[in-house]
Order: sequence, then C-alpha cells, then structure tokens
Amino acid sequence: MSSGGSFAAARSGQIKTAEGTRVSALAVLCCILAAISIWSVTLGTSRIPVANVLSAIFAFDGSREHLVVTTLRLPRVLAGLLAGGALAVAGAIMQAMTNNPLASPGLLGVNAGAAFAVVMATSLLGIGSETVIWFAFCGAGAAAGIVYALASTGPSGATPLKLVLAGAVLTTFLTSLTTAVLIFDQNTLDAVRLWTAGSLSGRTMAQVAAVAPYILVGLSLAVLFRRHLMTLSLGAEIARSVGQNPILWRGLAVVIVILLAGGAVALAGPVGFVGLVVPHVARMTVGVDYRWIVPFSAAGGALLVVLADTLGRTVFASQSFPVGVTMAILGAPFFIWLARSRAGDVR
Amino acid sequence: MTRTVAALALAVAALLLASLAHGDHPVAFGELISLVTQPAGANPQVEMIVLDLRLPRVLLALLVGVGLAVTGAIAQAVMRNPLAEPGILGINAGAALAATTLIVALDTAPIHLLPWAGFAGASIMAVAIYVLSWRNGTTSLRIILIGIGLSALAGAATTFLTAFGEIRDVQRAMIWLAGSVYHADWNGVQVLALWLVVPMTLALLSSRELDLIRFGDNAAQSLGQRVNLIRALMILLCTLISGAAVAAAGLIGFVGLVAPHMARRLVGPAHARLIPVSALIGAALVMAADLVGRTIIAPAQLPAGIVTALIGAPFFAWLLWGRHHVAA
Repeated sequence: MSSGGSFAAARSGQIKTAEGTRVSALAVLCCILAAISIWSVTLGTSRIPVANVLSAIFAFDGSREHLVVTTLRLPRVLAGLLAGGALAVAGAIMQAMTNNPLASPGLLGVNAGAAFAVVMATSLLGIGSETVIWFAFCGAGAAAGIVYALASTGPSGATPLKLVLAGAVLTTFLTSLTTAVLIFDQNTLDAVRLWTAGSLSGRTMAQVAAVAPYILVGLSLAVLFRRHLMTLSLGAEIARSVGQNPILWRGLAVVIVILLAGGAVALAGPVGFVGLVVPHVARMTVGVDYRWIVPFSAAGGALLVVLADTLGRTVFASQSFPVGVTMAILGAPFFIWLARSRAGDVR
Repeated sequence: MTRTVAALALAVAALLLASLAHGDHPVAFGELISLVTQPAGANPQVEMIVLDLRLPRVLLALLVGVGLAVTGAIAQAVMRNPLAEPGILGINAGAALAATTLIVALDTAPIHLLPWAGFAGASIMAVAIYVLSWRNGTTSLRIILIGIGLSALAGAATTFLTAFGEIRDVQRAMIWLAGSVYHADWNGVQVLALWLVVPMTLALLSSRELDLIRFGDNAAQSLGQRVNLIRALMILLCTLISGAAVAAAGLIGFVGLVAPHMARRLVGPAHARLIPVSALIGAALVMAADLVGRTIIAPAQLPAGIVTALIGAPFFAWLLWGRHHVAA
C-alpha cells in the first residue's frame, strides 16, 4: 500500500463523516421543525392537547376543537412553513446566482411588484382580503418577469450585474409609485399597512392549497437542481468550463425564484428578512456548498417563520401582530452574533 | 470626459434656471436677469418668490444630490459591491427609525428636531455597525452582513410603529421618509453647505485610495495601503455626508445607488473622474425630480425622493442597455 492510497482513503473517510454529520443535522432540524409546528397548532386562545391536534388531522370528527385546528390554526402554520421555506430557498438561489451577499428574492422585484399590485388594487378596486393573494402573486410574477427581460437584453444575456441592477432599479421605481399612491390615499394606507409588514393572520385552507403547488414545485426543482446551482454560483466562466450553459441555468433559476417568492409573498406579504438572512446562516454553519445550503435554508426558513408567528400570536397576544417584526427581533441578534464570529474567517 | 462634464454642468445650470422660473407663479427669464442686474428696481413679490422660496430649495436639492451621489460612489468602492449605497451603512434604517419614533411615538416633540433626530439616528446606526463588525480589523463582507442584521432590527421597530401608530402620524412620517426639499430655507442651505465643505474635499482628494481599495484587501495592502484605516475613514466620510443629506431632505433613495453607475458608464471606473461626474449626475437628478414633483400635479406636490426614481429609472435603463459603454 502506498502512502498516497491511504491518504486518499482517509480523506474520503473524512468527507463521508462530514456528509454524515450534515445529514444527521438536517434530520434533527426537520424533527425540531415538525415538533415546533405541532406545538404551534396547540397554542392559542384555547389550548388544544397534542393528541387532539393529531386526531383532528388524521381522524377529523367535526367537533369544535377539530374545527379550530383545521380551519384556523393549521392553515396559518402551513402558510408559515411554506412561505418561510420558499423565501429562504429563493434567497439562497439569488445569492448563488448573483454571487452577491446583498441579494434576496426581493431584489428580483418580487416584493415591490406584489406591493404595487395590492396597493393599486386596493386603491382603485377596493378589494377584500380574499383576493389580495392573487394580486400579490400576479404582481410579483410580472415584476420579476420584467426585471429578467430587462436584464436579458443585449449580447451577454442576463449577467449577474445587469440582473441585480435591473432588479434594484425596478424595485425603486415600483416602490416610488406605491409610496406616491399611499401618501395621497389614507384609506388605502390604513388597509394595507399591516399586510406590508408581513402577516399570516386570516389565511384559509383554500388559499394555502391554491398557492402550495407553485411553492412545492419550486422547492422540488431547487432540491433537484442543487448541483447545478452550486456550479452556477462559481461564476459564468467556471460554469461554462465544466460544461454548464450559464444563460440557460440562470433563466431556470429565475423561474424557480419567481415560483417560490411569488407564492411566499402571496401567503405572507412582502417580508424581506428570511430570504436575505437564512441563506447566510446556512452558509456560515454548513459551509459554501449549495447542495447543502438549499435544504438547510428550506428547513431553517420554515422554522424561523413558524417560530416567529407563534411567538407573535402568543407572547404579544395579538392575532394580527406582523410576523415580519417578530422575525427580525428573533433572528437578527442571532444573525449578528453569527456574522461577528464566523464571517470573514471563511473567505 | 470634458464633453461629459460640460454637458452635465450645462444640464445642472439649465435645471437651476428652470427651477427658478417655473412654478405656481411663472417668472420670465428677463425678470430673473433684471433681478440680478438691478436688484433695487425689482418687483418685491417676484424677488421674494425667486430669492427666498425657489433659490434655497433648488440649492438644497443640488447639495443633497451631490452628497448622496458621492457617498454612493465611495460606498460601492469600499464595499466592492455594485448594490452598495449609503443605506448599506445603516444610514437610512437609523434615520428612518429616529424620524418615525419622533413623529409617531412622541406626538408632542417639536418638529424642528426632525433633522437632528435623523442625523443622530443615522450616525448612531453607522457607528454601531462599524463597531460590531470590528474583530481584528474589518472586512467588507462582515460590515455588509452586520449592516443587514442591524438594519433589519431597526426596520422591524419602524414597521411596528407604522403598523400600529395613529394613521395620520404614519402618513406624515411616510412623507418625510419619502424624501423632499419642501421646507428648504436659507438657514438650512447654509448649514448644509458649510457642513459638507470638509468631507467633500476629502472625498475628492481620496480618489487614489478608492481606486486601490476597490481591488480587494490583499491587493490594496500589498500596494502599501493601510486598508483598515482607509476603510474607517471612508465610512466616516460617508456617514458625515449622507447623514447630513438625509437630515436635510429625508430618505432620497436611488440617487446614491444609481448616479455612480451612470457615471461609470460615462467616464469609466477611475475615481478621479467618477466622483465629480457622479456628483453632477446626482445634483441633476434631484433638481429635476423636485422641479417635476412640484409642477406636474400642481398645486399638490410629489416628494422629490419619489420622483427621483420615476425619472431616473428610465434614463438609467437607457444608459445601461444602450450603447454607452466605457467599461462595463
């Protein structure tokens, strides 16, 4: 046996243990997520024991407690899970694609487009809360489409720089229009201000079921193509030299982000924090490897949103406390600590 | 370069004249000239409108535009990030929180404290971000990340206030946050101009250091630059300039982000050219925005900060995707 062979064996052993640690860490994270979700359903103005929650899901009998679980609490928790996971994964993809630590799903114009559509619809048509999600979804998709189209013009296609600049410009443009409307229309401001802070209150099972397919398709595409995202994050030149067509894959990545972030904005309103911060947390804990950042972001984002929403409606005892605020209170100190102790050493 | 600067300077001068002449009470150019040549014989009403109302306002717009554009150029070089703007240092989040607290939470606070609150909020936030990212020196990545975190916290507090405050106060806060130069007076213009002299001169003098630091910490260090010191100085300059601009006019976004990019398209990335050209573009943007904002739906007025993006975005798109490439 040559020493080189044993070295290679030892190294592959090391890699295997690192993989093992990550798999078990992910499994633990998912278990915590499941436990927190069920715990969240039990909490509220009336406490419902875990056994009743489970029986409401698996053996529904139409009692008052079961109705509370299935019509009020479960949709809210599911909306939180979906929106959180979707936003975090969309953020991870944006950061991989643009190689910019400031990139978030909102940079594609998703939040600004949704807010613009909702404000316009509320101001001109006076829509109610049931149809808001569709205006948000369409606004988000349209804005992201415009950003990508703007960035793709020209010979080099949608380079990361053009993409982020087009996104930033359209975002400011739409936000300005929205602000201009809100400054003159106090009623609309009053109607949408809670929505713009990000809120999960009043989500119905029908709404969740309507948006879920988009998010689930987006999530499975992201997990399926996580290797390609990793390659994409290395930059156009390296990606091309290992055989990837960066223009094609960047386009696909944008489609995934639109599905994920559009759905999430429809469910939870324009919340920025998850999509920006959770991928950073994942990168600082599991390393710069998007094959792992994607699943860890999904679990972490879902955990953060559900936890924040649960705390918001129990500690602050208000069903409409905006989840965007609790999320930042909960997540930002941890993120600052992590950035202080980890970032800059990795590079 | 000369042609670009001349064209931009002409544009700024034209905007200045147009802003003096246009408004609810139009003033003919002949009257403007006679106001300068024979001040004694001027109509006192016209004199009051032009000299006491319109001139300070347009000068304030000019100063704010210059300040924001220059700090944007510095921030993009120091952070080595095309998305950087003064707000990345926490200026906007800090000022927004301070102003919203003053307007929404402390009903009785006198309104003339608003600029001071804005400046205090902006500088406290910038200092906090810098201090928290110091660990055996700073890195631009760490400053960006800590900035994201702290801005999110301040943003959460602002959101809380806007979501649950008295709707009338919230709307007033939104107007301030949108950024405007409605309330310009000579006193404010003088204070801002004096305040900006030293930091702006320093910014112009440091173009070589900015060229160096843009290459990355290691390259700059091996070329003899004391990276941590320069970065701290540049962040201090940014805070002084944009904090004052924000205090004077509220949150005028977009200029700090986009003016440097426009300038880079026109004259390339060297800061000796980039900074003056950015300054001219920024001035033209804010002046044009204020002129449009106060005439387009007169007698109502749109805040300059809103119009900046509305007229700046199409122009930027034309520059970015037209054939005006000096260096991408």
